[in-house]
Amino acid sequence: MLFNSIAFLLFFPIVCVLYFAIPVARVWARNMLLLVASYYFYMNWEPAYALLLMTSTVVTYLAALGISFYQEKSKKKLFLISSLVLNLSILFLFKYYNFLSENVEWMLQRSGLSMDLPEFSLLLPVGISFYTFQALGYSIDVYRGTTPVERNFATYALFVSFFPQLVAGPIERSNNLLPQFKQQHRFDYEGVMAGIRLMVWGYFMKLVLADRCGVYVDAIFNNVDMHNGGSYWLASLLFPFQIYGDFAGYSLIAIGVARVLGFRLMENFRRPYFACSIGEFWHRWHISLSTWFKDYVYIPLGGNRVGHLRQYVNLLVTFVVSGIWHGANWTFFCWGCLHGVLLCIEKAIGIGKQQYTGIRKFCHWLVTFILVCVAWILFRANHLHDAMAVITGLFCKIGVPDISFAMFTDLCLAALAIGILLLKELSEEFHWNLKVAESRYWLVRHSYIVVMTAMILLLGVLGGDQFIYFQF
Amino acid sequence: MKKLICSLVFILIGLFTVDRAGGLMMRWVGEHTNDVLGPKLRYLHHDIHEEVVLMGASRCHHHYLPSVLSDTLGMSVYNAGVGGSDNIFSHFIVLCHILERYTPKVICLEVMHTDYCQQEDAFTVLSYFAPLYGNSEAADSVYRLAGKYWQYQVSHLYRYNAKAASNLVGLVLNRQKDNDQGYIPLPKPNQCPQQLAVEQARHDVDSLKIEYLQRFIDLCRDRQICLVFTVSPKYTLVDADHYQVLRELAQKNQVPMLDYHTTGLYHDQPAYFKDITHLWDKGARLYSAVFASDLKHIVQEY
Repeated sequence: MLFNSIAFLLFFPIVCVLYFAIPVARVWARNMLLLVASYYFYMNWEPAYALLLMTSTVVTYLAALGISFYQEKSKKKLFLISSLVLNLSILFLFKYYNFLSENVEWMLQRSGLSMDLPEFSLLLPVGISFYTFQALGYSIDVYRGTTPVERNFATYALFVSFFPQLVAGPIERSNNLLPQFKQQHRFDYEGVMAGIRLMVWGYFMKLVLADRCGVYVDAIFNNVDMHNGGSYWLASLLFPFQIYGDFAGYSLIAIGVARVLGFRLMENFRRPYFACSIGEFWHRWHISLSTWFKDYVYIPLGGNRVGHLRQYVNLLVTFVVSGIWHGANWTFFCWGCLHGVLLCIEKAIGIGKQQYTGIRKFCHWLVTFILVCVAWILFRANHLHDAMAVITGLFCKIGVPDISFAMFTDLCLAALAIGILLLKELSEEFHWNLKVAESRYWLVRHSYIVVMTAMILLLGVLGGDQFIYFQF
Repeated sequence: MKKLICSLVFILIGLFTVDRAGGLMMRWVGEHTNDVLGPKLRYLHHDIHEEVVLMGASRCHHHYLPSVLSDTLGMSVYNAGVGGSDNIFSHFIVLCHILERYTPKVICLEVMHTDYCQQEDAFTVLSYFAPLYGNSEAADSVYRLAGKYWQYQVSHLYRYNAKAASNLVGLVLNRQKDNDQGYIPLPKPNQCPQQLAVEQARHDVDSLKIEYLQRFIDLCRDRQICLVFTVSPKYTLVDADHYQVLRELAQKNQVPMLDYHTTGLYHDQPAYFKDITHLWDKGARLYSAVFASDLKHIVQEY
């Protein structure tokens, strides 16, 4: 079930009414309701994939019980490794097996050997990377002793499958979300209204900003050879806003939905395009994933506690893994590599350590934004050679962008949405007193919801498009 | 809880008010815009009166010059083709709206495989005609079929979603200056199509579309309208049985069918084409003359 579907707009109010109809003290009953709702939400895509979700849940639940049961480190480790291997095997099978077999076949062919490896033709289950990482994070936390083991299976199953953040994050931490399932969530008017406002802004980002940008971006990136440098420039400039609107929009809807129910999910985006270095960008972009990689990959590899050379290797490894996490394609591998290399360079020359002001800050911001945009080309391109064609075409295939009238109107709407986004984010970044959604006046706060909803109805792409991050 | 109910009531009333006011505003925009679709919908709803009406998608919109046809036939002609409205459901909606106003003498429907074959989402294009929602019960029944009925019933703003931006831009830019009774010429391309591609016949027939094609024919027959199926030139090669499904349907209902695609009209003239599917203005002018002469014979015999 997509957030931007009529089905969800019916499903969510029903869940809310039932949830708040259950007495506050009956925490277990409320959790059971949320668990059933979460599985129903997930099974709307493909009922069979709920088995994978359940498998991941059972494996990590039992592994955590095993870890907490034994005192010997070696036995704890055995349970942890079993959990990691089983979960990552499922992820590998569904997400990376075909990619690997294709590349092995290609390499064998190049070396004069021919071999047909069996193909795995099942579709990638929605959100598998997200819930697998969330469940693995819990196993590791229990192993490290930073989070207590959860013995109630239903509560733990809800932690893995909680529908607002099940399919595209934020990837929650057990020590943030699990305790919330044990608290009594009294009906909180301010929390409900804040959640609704977050949802409305999230829908605007997805349906107006991302999907309007997407019309042009898709037209160019899906037919790279047919277009000129001007079109590449425009598409490369729009894609950063498309991916941001799409993913941050989803995260905001997820956070808003959870907030209405009384839960607080972690912040996932903090105005990433205002970053003045790549390092800062990763503190602002997909925060739940970047902190996951920091805590569970980068730090265990040695983090900053090792020599300079090893630190660079650790950074590169972390970002390559992060790139591959996004999908089984060389474009994601190269995107991760590029970010890793840029971070190593920043670290080597000491960028990002001090606070900049004035023109220096602007220059740093500009360079960072350009580098991020170039990296997004790798991320968006369907193939590596398409990405190279776009990057070289930016400078070699000079021309006026191909814009049909229909495209032009979509671009006008995209520009309007980008303008509204910039106004909002500039006011937040520089603490201007332009708070509309969070205004202290009741009328302004409520009018904001009305006006934004009307804008979505009139200007949004309401065809029920998938969110980009679902494919990850 | 009381506070929440107050808030929700305020939001719902506010949204209803803004939606209705916005719907009225967008209707005004639709009636004053100089974009392509807005003026055509306005004409279909308020002014259409011509004896001959041409219907179809972009291949109709850009291939038939009413002035050329009018000279040959001695009848008034309007091109009601709408770019992108590429299946029988949209043509059926247009027909229903026309018949709400009057009964034309001749209707020429430019048909293509999407009129009878399966599509990924056959109902998406119906949103183009949503501003006309509520004016024809028969047309509105198609929205019910598409699952859009309640959305359009509830929100007036949503009816204008598909073309809101182009209608607003059309207040500033005039795209109607070359308009010839609904025909808009396509410009000369930088490069004409190079090679005749071979197009395979489609056999994934959509029974619902066939049903609506039949309904279209029946509506015309009931009103004693001379209905003609046409297939204008395309720069692709096809076998003789490419449009067999349509041909059989036409024969069964005694609807004349003029197929210039299968016969290969202009396959020796790639310079007339903008792309493999569309003629540009020069090709359209020449083709309109050919079509007008053939149509004249049909109309005289009817």
